[in-house]
Amino acid sequence: MTYILFGVAGTTYAVPSPQVQHIEMVEQITPVPNAAHAVEGVVFSRGQVVPVINLRARFGFQRAAINQRSRLLVVQQGTRSIGLLADEAKEFVTIADALIHPPNQAIGNLSGSYLHGVATLGERVVLILDVREVVESTPIAAA
Amino acid sequence: MDDYFAEADEHLLAIRRCLLMLDGVERPAPSSSVLEELFRSCHSLKGISAMVELREAEVLAHHMESCLRAIRQGETVLDGVNLETLLAGANALEAVIVARREGNPLPSGEEAIAALRAMASTTTEEKPVAGPPGDAVKMAGSWTVRFVPSPELVARGIKVDTIRARLLEIGKIVSVAPQVLPGGGISFDFNVQTDDEASLEAWKADGVSYEPFVPAAPDVPLPATAASDLPSGPRAWEMASAAPGNFVRVDLARLDDLMRLAGDLVVTRSRLDDTLKRVERNVPSREFRLLQEHDLLMERQLRDLREGIMRVRLVPVGEVFRRMPFVVRDLAHDIGKRVKLEIVGQSTEIDKFLIERMMDPILHLVRNAVGHGIETVDRRVAAGKPPDGTIRLSATTVGESVVIEIADDGAGIDLAAIARRSPKDVHIEDGTLDSRLLLDVICESGFSTREEADRISGRGVGMAVVRSTVEELGGTLEVDTEPGRGTRFSLTLPLTLAIVDAIIGHVGAQTFAVPQSAVQEVIEVDPEKLRPLEQNELLMHRGRALPIVRLGRLFNLETTPRPRLHAIVVGTGLNALGLVFDRVAGHREIVVKTIADPLIHVSGVSGATELGDGRLVLILDVAALGRGIRERPRLGERASA
Amino acid sequence: MHTILVVDDSPTIRKMVRAALGGLQDVGFIEAGSGLQAIETLAMNPVRMVVLDLNMPDMHGLDVLKFLRSHSQYRALPVMVLTTRGDELSREQVLEAGATSYMTKPFSPSFLVSSVRELLDAAPDPAR
Repeated sequence: MTYILFGVAGTTYAVPSPQVQHIEMVEQITPVPNAAHAVEGVVFSRGQVVPVINLRARFGFQRAAINQRSRLLVVQQGTRSIGLLADEAKEFVTIADALIHPPNQAIGNLSGSYLHGVATLGERVVLILDVREVVESTPIAAA
Repeated sequence: MDDYFAEADEHLLAIRRCLLMLDGVERPAPSSSVLEELFRSCHSLKGISAMVELREAEVLAHHMESCLRAIRQGETVLDGVNLETLLAGANALEAVIVARREGNPLPSGEEAIAALRAMASTTTEEKPVAGPPGDAVKMAGSWTVRFVPSPELVARGIKVDTIRARLLEIGKIVSVAPQVLPGGGISFDFNVQTDDEASLEAWKADGVSYEPFVPAAPDVPLPATAASDLPSGPRAWEMASAAPGNFVRVDLARLDDLMRLAGDLVVTRSRLDDTLKRVERNVPSREFRLLQEHDLLMERQLRDLREGIMRVRLVPVGEVFRRMPFVVRDLAHDIGKRVKLEIVGQSTEIDKFLIERMMDPILHLVRNAVGHGIETVDRRVAAGKPPDGTIRLSATTVGESVVIEIADDGAGIDLAAIARRSPKDVHIEDGTLDSRLLLDVICESGFSTREEADRISGRGVGMAVVRSTVEELGGTLEVDTEPGRGTRFSLTLPLTLAIVDAIIGHVGAQTFAVPQSAVQEVIEVDPEKLRPLEQNELLMHRGRALPIVRLGRLFNLETTPRPRLHAIVVGTGLNALGLVFDRVAGHREIVVKTIADPLIHVSGVSGATELGDGRLVLILDVAALGRGIRERPRLGERASA
Repeated sequence: MHTILVVDDSPTIRKMVRAALGGLQDVGFIEAGSGLQAIETLAMNPVRMVVLDLNMPDMHGLDVLKFLRSHSQYRALPVMVLTTRGDELSREQVLEAGATSYMTKPFSPSFLVSSVRELLDAAPDPAR
């Protein structure tokens, strides 16, 4: 299975590439007032209005300024298109299922509930993200 | 046994759905693919009922099957009476299965069986016309589509069934034949009628190859139950090309693309407009005038183009209304009332996307009318009304909108009960309740005058959803009720969906758009003149107190104090409201994109648009803001994450 | 290990067949919900015998059977045909089309088991 790797607050994550519709540089994100904390806002992507989840915020890190390296990964979750804001996008890799271990062996301050698993590629530790979990458990605005 | 019930339910559902579709189709040539599905469902139901030894269901299904076979072969005609018999058969089947599931004694299906038997054995003189079938494919090409399965494809989830389902979606499968390939593998050769060559092309990556059908091969086996509407290969092909017709089947997705392109054109033209204004002083006036003329001409032509495309998406409302008589009949029957359904304005056209979104809400309102609106026969007679209640479902075009009404001559909404059940304080004056307030109360999430889960109202769609759907689509919902006389719900929906005129305003660093249709006027406001009143602020305007919404405060935006503000006055009379911006920047045509995702579904925002410089701007939902005023201080709260 | 392909468009029936035959030694199952899928599955998996329902939406079981019997690699494959009580096809028609054996629904599980065991014992393993 091919994955796309990206970085958030110094950690490398992966999502299955079939789930990623496209990756773009971040230009303007329009904030949506009174949306949930991790929802950065909305963007226009290929003619569609796409909500953007700031992964740093979502994972409990401090927000960082958006720069040239920031990337928006537009993923498909069911019928929804959601944008994930990452610090940077890295490469495509193929990760064999056998290399993926269950998340409760992960270290650090991450809640394992949004990880499918952890893989070790050579020296790198890559966290496989459960997109559905991230998307569906992001709290929705209370209005 | 649970598996049996689960599967039986599916088949029963399919049977009901097919029977519904068969009514309303011209007889004597009902759509044979629907007949086919109906036949199959009955047959399958017969099979599994036999396996679990539920003989009564087996026999009923068997007789239904025989009748359907007779119809399929043209020996019996599917007229109103026979359809009723089939419906009765389906009901009897369901009754037996439900009874078994609940451990009750099984009802005797004898009456239904006798009727079915009689129907199957009578033959009629009329043979169905062997012409183009009910759901004819118009203007379709004939193709041989070959699919070669492989382990890689299976790993990707692509099997012959997947391909078959796709082919069914884009056209008709005349026949299918497995072949053994020289190397020992196999392929499936489908003879397909479709005009969607693009999809066939796209599926080449999924093991599909295709070529135009050459009608010579006599050896293509035609399986007995393949989904075929046409008598046989070669002749069928001739028939299709002989009657091309004047219609083209279009994938809705393509229309959406066209709409988007048209929208993009609008945006580009807006930018052109902006640029023109900027270069005005640099261009000799004669040239500039020419430029302007061209610009205006383009605007006009674009409008026409947009309207043309919108028109393509218009479908007659009747398509959706057609199912209502069944819904009404079944429900009335279930709960023991007598109700007639009148339908007016079936040919009124409405955007296909709109009507699809509105189907559930309309269904809900109709069911409510039957369930709660119309009284029982006894009560009606006692009140001097005819024993049959009437529900009137109508659709008319009024200017740029379509008005759909669901009216009943029932007992009206019980205002006292509403007031009692309302979680808020609701006062009834003179026995009447302000209709806007009434609507607010019944559309309140979680509000219901019945404690039990209501079978009548169906699943998942309450009044709150009805209203929010209507408003999301840019429409309005109104209610009118008179105790003892009846109730009427009016849904006003925009005819055209996507492009509106809007006024643009800035607040702090953010920009918003307000649909022009809601705007009464734009005024300058002296912040000193705003008067606080309880939780709100007011401005004296034209001799009246105008409630004010400071958007900066509402949306928790950073604003710097300014000596003068602008306000957009929306709504009329009691509904009037002033939306305060830092600055109002002018008006433009905008392409409306709805905001659907729950993550960004925020009250007060109804959509988004692109202003042509890549910036996304939020469109304000004036109606929600107005409501919000009455519900302060809940508005403007930060979401607690 | 004997792999049995169970073909029927009703998941309930497929489950029942598997349940009935589950007790047999050394037996594994693949399922197919339609005639076309059955042929596809056969092309890509080694199968020891087939339990085949007749009435299926995309391709009638009888046509599946005829297809199988007309090609050398499947000619010797044991096929037990399942049919519904009251169906038009006669026993002769089914056997003539090439069925190795024939059973009407509702069938008794023990009868199914013994018939299948007989078929497995009798027919030589079709070489793949």
